[in-house]
Amino acid sequence: MKTQSRLARKVVLGAMATILTGGLSTATLAADYPNKPIQMIVAFGAGGSTDTMARIFAKYAEEELGQRVVVVNRPGAGGELGWVHLANADPDGYTIGLINSPAVEVYPFTREDTVGYSLDEIRPLANVITDPGVLAVVADSPYQSLDDLVAAVKDDPESVIISHEGVGGDDHLAALNFAEEADIGLSFVSYNGNAEATAALLGGHITAFEGNMSEAAAQIQEGKARGLAVWADERVEAIADVPTGKEQGYDVQSAASRGFAVPADVPQEVYDTLLAVTRDVVDNPEFRAEMEQLNMPVNPIYGEEYVEFIHDSHDRLKALWEKDPWVEQ
Amino acid sequence: MDVLLPALGNVLTPMALLTLFLGTLAGMTIGSLPGLSSTMGVALCIPITFNMPPDLALMLLGAVYVSSVYGGSVTAILLRTPGTDASIATALDGYPLAAAGRGGEALGMATLASLFGGLFSVVVLIAIAPPLSTVALAFGPQEYTVLAIFGLVTIVGVASDRPLKGVLSAAVGLVLACVGLDTFTGMQRFTFGHSELFEGVPLLPVLIGLFSVSQAFNLCVPEGGGVLAGKGQQLKGRRLPLWHDIRRSLRTLLRSSVIGSVVGILPGAGTSIASFISYSEARRHSPTPERFGKGELEGVAASESANNAVTGGTLIPTLTLGIPGNAVTAVFVGGLTIHGMIPGPSLFTQHAETTYTLILSLFLANILFAVLGLWLCRYLVVVTKVPGAVLGPMILVFSVIGTYALRNEVFDVWLAVAFGVVGFFMERWRYPAAPLVIALILGPILEVNFRRSMQISHWDLTTFFTRPLSLTLCLLVVLALAYPLWNQWRRRHSSVQH
Repeated sequence: MKTQSRLARKVVLGAMATILTGGLSTATLAADYPNKPIQMIVAFGAGGSTDTMARIFAKYAEEELGQRVVVVNRPGAGGELGWVHLANADPDGYTIGLINSPAVEVYPFTREDTVGYSLDEIRPLANVITDPGVLAVVADSPYQSLDDLVAAVKDDPESVIISHEGVGGDDHLAALNFAEEADIGLSFVSYNGNAEATAALLGGHITAFEGNMSEAAAQIQEGKARGLAVWADERVEAIADVPTGKEQGYDVQSAASRGFAVPADVPQEVYDTLLAVTRDVVDNPEFRAEMEQLNMPVNPIYGEEYVEFIHDSHDRLKALWEKDPWVEQ
Repeated sequence: MDVLLPALGNVLTPMALLTLFLGTLAGMTIGSLPGLSSTMGVALCIPITFNMPPDLALMLLGAVYVSSVYGGSVTAILLRTPGTDASIATALDGYPLAAAGRGGEALGMATLASLFGGLFSVVVLIAIAPPLSTVALAFGPQEYTVLAIFGLVTIVGVASDRPLKGVLSAAVGLVLACVGLDTFTGMQRFTFGHSELFEGVPLLPVLIGLFSVSQAFNLCVPEGGGVLAGKGQQLKGRRLPLWHDIRRSLRTLLRSSVIGSVVGILPGAGTSIASFISYSEARRHSPTPERFGKGELEGVAASESANNAVTGGTLIPTLTLGIPGNAVTAVFVGGLTIHGMIPGPSLFTQHAETTYTLILSLFLANILFAVLGLWLCRYLVVVTKVPGAVLGPMILVFSVIGTYALRNEVFDVWLAVAFGVVGFFMERWRYPAAPLVIALILGPILEVNFRRSMQISHWDLTTFFTRPLSLTLCLLVVLALAYPLWNQWRRRHSSVQH
């Protein structure tokens, strides 16, 4: 009986301690944050470009935080499963995640009936990479510019076939945007990821490849493919020979962005700590050098500005969607 | 080629050999556990390589990759629980052999075949990688479509003694393959609001369910456990197959290694296509095709040499073009880039020494797993002596952990358990499970490439017959289908005459 009562006392004490610390939690948590490893959710598989960037970032963030940063891959449904986990995680700052724009802000309306998170449940922290869209053809293609391509489509709409990596993804939206600007109809073919699409381009099975700079840069640098346009405001250093769409009279802007986000209810102090760490990592020349090597353009957007960026993009794309949905309902 | 010598020096340092040894051991373990795929093994090792010099890092990843493909054969043969889809075809003949007390011999053959296939593909990789990489580009959607059909035709061979049930099983697989987000239109098909199904019915939980979980149930049922217990007792059986058997299988080994290397080069084709096509080709060329599926060493040889030949094959487009041949090598590319090596021609110029160090280390890793495998055979076969009531729950535990580990989804675990029940009854009622998995793997490849072909050719069905490569593949399909019929007709004809 004695042991039992001792046990009971321990349980009561334990419970009291929990309540006490629970009451103090926000203050103490923020003060000695972080005091245990932090989990970083990557909504895509290991070895992909988002994962590679996350792991390199984690390496530098560990030095700043003095805690392990553990990358957890939760792939599925084009990122949705990972973001559901991020939105539902404890808002204590020990779970952060990567979000990929435009996918993250598009699913809430394109998958309205089934989507497992809402943008209100996720608080964007900072954008790190902006990977602009690129339209490329194989090196021995007759097309030298966007005008050539447009002329070919106007001449024979069936002669041009463009790859993208999934309906409603940034590649597809960029190509649709270009078609609208040029007032032409384009024929598309969908590929599962960059590897298959690149093989199809180099093998001459498709006319042009719509993808991201980091995916196409190596083939362009090696002279196996020719970039017709980069969908950015200005040219990109890694492929400086490739003109922007704007230069050629087609004002299309498109990019895949990768940044960080936390569950919406994370305490402000924790949010600020994570933001400061992100700034330090992004400003670290070694981190910059590694990103440059991977052809991933660093484009920091911090805090409230990033929140606004995601929400603006959401509103813009939603308006586009309501006018002309790109997915059959 | 003058980088080969310094590369050889890099491979033979004590640190390198230790890394290779550990990588091989880890790979064999990962490959043999249900659910822990080669892809996951390599992905798990990437963070470990962060602080290693690039040479060692790549050696570790390479060793894990090739030995995990081999590791799958061990449990496929002894327990009929293939660790990955690459060794389903191995189980078809390996398990009946083990049940007949010839598990050691089957393991020996699997080891030799894996070694043969692995070394063959590495030699191909060293000798003619750059010219061969053009094969990866020559295959367009039309060729992939016909290749997928070729793969489906192998179902005839896998389910030869009960063709109708085999076709039914495959039909179920094809229906399941329709589930998921249609990437051409963005439409959700049969997902019933489950985000977990957006990318289709996940293959590995189905595979683990049909083979591992159902086998666990089998072992726990009194009369089911008898499949192994009893017969598996005579473990004194041979560890190495007879020289006569090896010589008989030489043509199969060579043919399967070529098939494996070529299929490996094609991005997105997959290891299981290679092992199933090799298996069905071996059966077609065999003087005794009726013995396949009932414990034919040559069947084990065909499947295992093909799936290990894929490893070198997949690295060809990965290293020369920067286009990964499958999911494992896609993860491999991640590992390469982290160490500052961007896959593509620059690997053979700028980083030639590291690249050749990797290739040579693959050579060594193949030999290493073969030696380890042959030595371990004797101890591993003991597994068949463990009572079913102990083994069953153990397999179940590993299956649940493995399935959950795939992407941390409890949904997948339920899926595996559900398919475990399905698999249990399929076996009771004599429906072969392999056709279902083959169809589930090939369904999406077939559909997506057929639709791509149609989009590219603007709905011209003759596109499959007007391209030389595609036409050749079509003729091979016809040949594979017609050969057994012709054979049958010839036999009947001659028996009538006599």
